[in-house]
Amino acid sequence: MVVVGAGYAGLSAARNLVDAGLDVVVLEARGRVGGRVWSETTRAGALVDHGGQWIGPGQHHLQGWADDLGVTTFPTFGDGANVEIREGRRHLFTGLVPTSDREGSADAVAALLELDLLAHEVAPGEPWTHPDAIALDRRTLGDWVVSEVGSAAARAMITTATLGVFGAEPCELSLLYALAYAHGGGSMSALLRTAGGAQERRFHGGAQQMAVRVAEALGDRVVLDAPVSSVRHGPGRVSVTADRVTPDGHRRPWRVDADRVVVAIPPATQGRIAFDPPLPGRRDQLVQRSPMGSVTKIHAVYERPFWRDEGLSGQVVADTGALRLVFDDSPDDASHGVLMGFLAGHEDRILDGSGTAGRAAVALAELAAAFGPVAGSPIEVVEQHWSAEPFTRGGPVACLGPGVLTGCGPALREPVGPVHWAGTETATAWSGYIDGAISSGLRAADEVTAALGRPVRQGA
Amino acid sequence: MATADELAEAYGDWRGRCNANPRLAKMLRGWDRTVHLVTSDTGEGYTLSVAGSVLGELRSGLVGAPDLVVTATSEDFTDLFWGDLNPSEKYLNGEIVLAGSSEDVMRLDAMSMVAFLDQ
Repeated sequence: MVVVGAGYAGLSAARNLVDAGLDVVVLEARGRVGGRVWSETTRAGALVDHGGQWIGPGQHHLQGWADDLGVTTFPTFGDGANVEIREGRRHLFTGLVPTSDREGSADAVAALLELDLLAHEVAPGEPWTHPDAIALDRRTLGDWVVSEVGSAAARAMITTATLGVFGAEPCELSLLYALAYAHGGGSMSALLRTAGGAQERRFHGGAQQMAVRVAEALGDRVVLDAPVSSVRHGPGRVSVTADRVTPDGHRRPWRVDADRVVVAIPPATQGRIAFDPPLPGRRDQLVQRSPMGSVTKIHAVYERPFWRDEGLSGQVVADTGALRLVFDDSPDDASHGVLMGFLAGHEDRILDGSGTAGRAAVALAELAAAFGPVAGSPIEVVEQHWSAEPFTRGGPVACLGPGVLTGCGPALREPVGPVHWAGTETATAWSGYIDGAISSGLRAADEVTAALGRPVRQGA
Repeated sequence: MATADELAEAYGDWRGRCNANPRLAKMLRGWDRTVHLVTSDTGEGYTLSVAGSVLGELRSGLVGAPDLVVTATSEDFTDLFWGDLNPSEKYLNGEIVLAGSSEDVMRLDAMSMVAFLDQ
C-alpha cells in the first residue's frame, strides 16, 4: 500500500492499514509529518502551533489519539473581558457576543440560529441529497447574509466568524457547503466557541506531537522529503513516483509499486499530481474547484501574558482590519505570553505582497490598539503564511463555491480504481478539523482492506 | 438565594418583554416546547411552555415530560429574567446547564441571548 501524505489523515490510514497486516509506505512531501498541524518552539522558547491546535467536545477520534498516546489538554484561556473593535473603536464585553451594539448582536445571534437550523437539515457527509440542494448550492453564504441579516453590524459579525472558520469571505462559499460544514461540527455556533465549542482545549506540548508519535511507531515506512509527482493506475495496481531527496541533496524520481494508494492530501495539491490515466472528469473538476482558504497565523510572543493583569481574556473580535480574531495562545503555565491572530480571506491575500515584516507590522499595530502599546513590542513575532505554503496551498480547509457539491460532491470519496481518497475535506463529520482528518484515514483504510478482502476492523 | 415569589415576578417581567419582541416571536415560530426549570440551590421545580411563538406562564412544579431542562441557582434565574445577567457567560462557566436535544438547546441558548441583548 502507498499512502500519499503524512498529515493526520495519511497517518491514520497508514496506522490502520498496518494494523490490518498490510505493507505500507507513506510518502510525505515535507521534511516533517503533521500536514496542516505543525508545532514549533520559537527562538524565544515559546511553543506555538502554526496550524490546527484545538480540540473540542465531540471530537472523539482526536481525543482517542490523545488518550492512546498519553497527550493531555488544557482549557483555552478565556477568563476576563474580551475586546471588540467596532468601526475602529475599542469596547470590552464578556460572554459570547459583543454588547456595544446590542441590536446588531441580537440580529447576529438570531441569524446564526437560522443558519444552524438550516444546517441541521443538511447531511454533512452527503449534502447533495438535501431536497433543496441545488437551490442551496446556487447561493453563496454571502447572498444569504445579504438577504436574511438586517443590520450592517450583524453582517460584519457573521463575516468575521466566516473568516475565522473557513479562511474565506462569505461570498466565496456555497451556502450548502457552509451548512454541511457547520453541521459536521455540530453547529456554526459551536464552531465559533471556545468553552463548549471547537476551540475549547489545547494540547500540552502542541497538537503535532500525536502525528510525530504515530509516525515514529510506523518507523521507516514513513518517507519524508518525497513529494509525489505521478500516479499510474490500472486494475488492482498502482505505481507512485515521488521526487525523493537523495543523500547528496539531489532529487531523483523514486517509484513505489503497490496494490492500492490512499491519497491523503488536500484537493488543491492533488491537482499537482499527474494521474495516468487521467482522473474521471467529475473528480478532476472537483479538484479544480476546491481552492483552499487564505490564512496566515501570526503569533506575538511576550515575556508574560500582561493583558491578564488587566482582566482581559486576550480574545479580540474585530469588524475591520487585518486581524479579525485574536486568542490568548500562551502556554498552560503562562511561562510566556502569546497572542495569536488570524489574517484571513481578502486581507490575507492583500497582505501577501507585504512579506513577513509587513504583515507583522500591521498585526502589531492592531494588537497595540486592542491591548495597549506594550502589545506592539513583543520579544518575537512568528507567522505561518499558509497561502504560500506549497504542500497545503492555504488553509484551514478547501472552500467550495456554488455548484461544486451538487455537481461534483459524489466524487469526493468515490475511489477511482485502486486510488482511494482521504483528508479532512472528505470527512463526514468535523471536516476541516484534525478529528475529520483522522476519521477520513480510518474510512479510507477500511475501503482498502474491504477491497482486498481483508477483515474490516471491529466497529467500522 | 431568591424566593419563589421573586423568581415568579422576574419571570413575569421577562415573559412580557419576550412576548412583545418581534425578533423573538420569529425565532420561536414553530417551536412548541415544555421547559422545566430546576433551581439547584432550593431544589424547586417550575414548568413553562412555549406555544404559538408565545411564552406561557410559569407554573410551580415539574409538570409533564420536558423537552428541555434548565438548571441554575434561584438567584441566577431571577437575575437572568430581570436582564441583569448575561446568559452566555453562565453557559460558558457551566453555571447554567441546558439539557435537551441539540436543536432545542441551540434555540433556547440563542433565544435567551437575544432576550438579554434586546432589552
